[in-house]
Amino acid sequence: MSTVQQKAPSSSYKINWEKQESLAKLGILVLAAILSFSTRLFSVLRFESVIHEFDPYFNYRTTKFLTDKGFYNFHNWFDEMAWYPLGRIIGGTIYPGLMVTSATLYRVLWFMNITIDIRNICVFLAPLFSSFTVIVTYLLTSEIYSTGAGLVSAAMIAIVPGYISRSVAGSYDNEGIAIFAMLLTYYMWIKAVKTGAILWSTLASLAYFYMVSSWGGYVFLINLIPLHVLALMFTGRFSHRLYVAYSTVYCVGTILSMQISFVGFQPVQSSEHMLAFGVFGLCQLFSFVEYLKSKLTKEQFEVLLKSITIAIVSIFLGFAAVLTLSGKVSPWTGRFYSLLDPSYAKNHIPIIASVSEHQPTSWSSFYFDLQILVFLFPAGLYFCFDKLTDANIFIILYGITSIYFAGVMVRLMLVLAPVMCILSGIAVSHLLTKYIRNVDTSATSFTSTEGKAARPDVSKKYKKYDQQNKGVKSEIAIGFVVMITFMLITYTFHCTWVTSEAYSSPSIVLSARSHDGSRIIFDDFREAYYWLQMNTPEDARIMSWWDYGYQITAMANRTVLVDNNTWNNTHISRVGQAMASSEEKAYEIMRELDVDYVLVIFGGLTGYSSDDINKFLWMVRIGGSTDRGQHIKEQDYYSSNGDFRIDKEGSQTLLNCLMYKLCYYRFGHVYTEAGKPTGYDRVRGAEIGNKDFELETLQEVYTTEHWLVRIYKVKDLENRGV
Amino acid sequence: MKLISSVIISIILFILIMSNVDCQRKQSSNAGGISLGEKVQQLLDWNAKKSILRLNGHKFKEYVKSSPRNYSVIVMFTALQPARQCVICRPASDEYTILANSYRYSSVYSNKLFFAIIDFDEGSDVFQMLRLNTAPVFMHFPAKGKAKGSDTMDIQRVGISAEAIAKWVQERTDIQIRIFRPPNYSGTVAVIMLISFVGGFLYLKRNNLEFLQNKQLWGLMSLLFVFAMISGQMWNHIRSPPFVHKSQNGGIGYFHGSSQGQLVFETYIVMVLNGLVVIGMILLTESGSQNDARKGKLMAIIGLIFVAVFFSLLLSAFRSKAHGYPYSFLFK
Repeated sequence: MSTVQQKAPSSSYKINWEKQESLAKLGILVLAAILSFSTRLFSVLRFESVIHEFDPYFNYRTTKFLTDKGFYNFHNWFDEMAWYPLGRIIGGTIYPGLMVTSATLYRVLWFMNITIDIRNICVFLAPLFSSFTVIVTYLLTSEIYSTGAGLVSAAMIAIVPGYISRSVAGSYDNEGIAIFAMLLTYYMWIKAVKTGAILWSTLASLAYFYMVSSWGGYVFLINLIPLHVLALMFTGRFSHRLYVAYSTVYCVGTILSMQISFVGFQPVQSSEHMLAFGVFGLCQLFSFVEYLKSKLTKEQFEVLLKSITIAIVSIFLGFAAVLTLSGKVSPWTGRFYSLLDPSYAKNHIPIIASVSEHQPTSWSSFYFDLQILVFLFPAGLYFCFDKLTDANIFIILYGITSIYFAGVMVRLMLVLAPVMCILSGIAVSHLLTKYIRNVDTSATSFTSTEGKAARPDVSKKYKKYDQQNKGVKSEIAIGFVVMITFMLITYTFHCTWVTSEAYSSPSIVLSARSHDGSRIIFDDFREAYYWLQMNTPEDARIMSWWDYGYQITAMANRTVLVDNNTWNNTHISRVGQAMASSEEKAYEIMRELDVDYVLVIFGGLTGYSSDDINKFLWMVRIGGSTDRGQHIKEQDYYSSNGDFRIDKEGSQTLLNCLMYKLCYYRFGHVYTEAGKPTGYDRVRGAEIGNKDFELETLQEVYTTEHWLVRIYKVKDLENRGV
Repeated sequence: MKLISSVIISIILFILIMSNVDCQRKQSSNAGGISLGEKVQQLLDWNAKKSILRLNGHKFKEYVKSSPRNYSVIVMFTALQPARQCVICRPASDEYTILANSYRYSSVYSNKLFFAIIDFDEGSDVFQMLRLNTAPVFMHFPAKGKAKGSDTMDIQRVGISAEAIAKWVQERTDIQIRIFRPPNYSGTVAVIMLISFVGGFLYLKRNNLEFLQNKQLWGLMSLLFVFAMISGQMWNHIRSPPFVHKSQNGGIGYFHGSSQGQLVFETYIVMVLNGLVVIGMILLTESGSQNDARKGKLMAIIGLIFVAVFFSLLLSAFRSKAHGYPYSFLFK
């Protein structure tokens, strides 16, 4: 932290002051850390300590496996419960950082005789790491600007919705710890650049290793750091400190990152890592040239430089030409265009276009996730440009690149949120330190420590500030302080509102408001999974759409055919074909796939709109996209007007396909809404078209309380052809 | 096999043509009565010149409607004349041309399938005959039997991209056409232009490169970039929304009603609002460094007002989009 160079009147007073200051700092930091933990607990308080959504269930299951069986078994784990009958290699296809972190935490706590359940560790891991993020943000910002800015940005990152969206309690995903690891790496890197010490550089590469082990987004980091080095070279700030720092970080970091089996040899092969490699080479050349320059006379050096430049450029061009002609590298492909123009991928690669997380970001979602940071960020950027240092250049680059990526893809808001907080913290602290001294003129000489302490030229500044006191009257200063306080208050209100309204629903337990305003809880998913666990044979194979695969394996402990790791399109397509075919055809497919139970999600009774009927067209499309599904044509599932309808107007193919029958079996006898006929679907707002039918090859075995989940057993073949 | 069959077909065609040479003169006098072989040959001849056959009412009856046929025809009914004001016809026609070219120069090209186009201004009688009152319409006329409902492509649902049409064609005729789009070099050219322009500029200014290290310039550029991103210009670039739209009560709506979408004009407003708040903040900081006390005071007051007013405007802009957002300041 910063050294306080303030000259105080008496030495006894000075100690007292320093103590007070560090106490205040500590207090603010601890409060921010506690706040960041507790603001993420909405869903735990409203529902209970559960894991959210889909992917976290997979992480939870693997973590449980890791804690039970140990790391080597985890590393060699071949999972036969998913993708039946293919199975999946888990150890080599995931980033293990998250699981290892929670397992270590679990072991440590048990060692101290705190017998906490592994599920609770998983639920509370993301809030815990966001508290750590608060502290790292403080350290990083104080390193870049000042401790005052550090405190402000720490308080800001504690509640910024862009980060909360991925780190509420129960959202047990890679991003939760990756942001901490990323900021830690940045902090170590800034330290390394400032000191030029191998110690800090090695620590930076260790932090980088942690980042690599936890999230695929490490690619951003390994491109940002070389970019920083490059920018420093261009601005003439290249130094031996930078040389030591980068060479160490690149070598150690690359070797360490290759230890993660999912990453493997990518750091030396794939084009995403080539910038880091190129800059490493450039660093060596640059310092070699500097060395020669110091040893040779000017004329000799110029001749040498010219010849070396020409030689290197021609060798490089020759290599590039040979590689391009031989087809090893092909720079003019779609991938290259997609770098230049982000709309290329959207328009030409439909799989990217279909995922909602990959959508571009509109201004209102920027505002929704960042609120006042949206305009504090440019102000902070301006102040950074005002006073360029090595560290400032880094944060500017981080800001510019991450805002670009956040604009292209809404989920990368997560990467942008920390730098938004850092730069906004700088802006707020810069403005406040400027004005707050004028609020109470008598205390001028002491209030200034926080922000200005790190600056060496304090005494010089002071004369200026005395001038200011005449310029900016205290009324304006008070007005300004009131306004910025007001803005910060709106920020906290906004963040809390967003967190509570938008980011705190676990989506495994649903809630709705009844007519009298009381809350109804739909806990059907867990009910169904528990039923499966208790009432089906242990090796039963469950067929469902891939969305529910992770949840079934994790909560019901049963084998599934497809899951959220959508690596095998033909297999998913086969399941889609079964769902979209008529009962007899589907029975053949289900016999072929050894299916014992079929699970469908049905929201027609409660009005839960993301159920299987609404996803059904995707099943048809994916089912029809492979060779064996040629007979499934999307056209057949539309009514004569070209609409997707489930009532009498709907197409006969739809009304008789397996998914339709499984969802609406016995539904034709149920009254759902007053004044409507039986079998009225509350999501589609229509009376179903096919009411009286019996299932021949399947048998209903369980339907949950609100009909959200329905489970059917696939009957065995008849004993003898009757 | 393919080679052999095509050789056989061409031999048969040749024989047919030869045998019909005599009859041709006789038959040309009585209209509409040309034989199948002649029709195919005629179509192939046209196709050799152009990948899409341009038909009028007469030709349509002769080659598409009259019965002895062993080939399918895909017809696009369109209205390309500017006077008809068909906005979608032009892009639809472009896509259709891509499809037809892909077919014409692919290995699956045969005399089993032809692509044709009928413009309203050249064949309005056909439009009347088929009772079409919209354009563009894609129809398939199968080799045997009458056209069914599904022989008209549903543009509303599948769109007009060449891939969608190809998929539909495959469903109807079992001929799979791989779309080959002529590569678009405009991106590459633009990049090369930009690089050469910048390179040339740097070369001209090579003795005076200090402006590259001018941090004000860089600062301004990155601020502009940040404002563009924050106001969702990237969203505009990818989704290309309309500039303004009609609001419910008939006037012009500058703001999209939900937080799911946005209009181009709206993003400009937001960009300006953000910019003004930031200018206010910069004024506030710069006010201290002025030597003239009164000027500094004025700057501070202006800055304060800027920040307060435009922040609350921004807040109400957001409020109008995010329904149920509870907070506001100064303005409702």
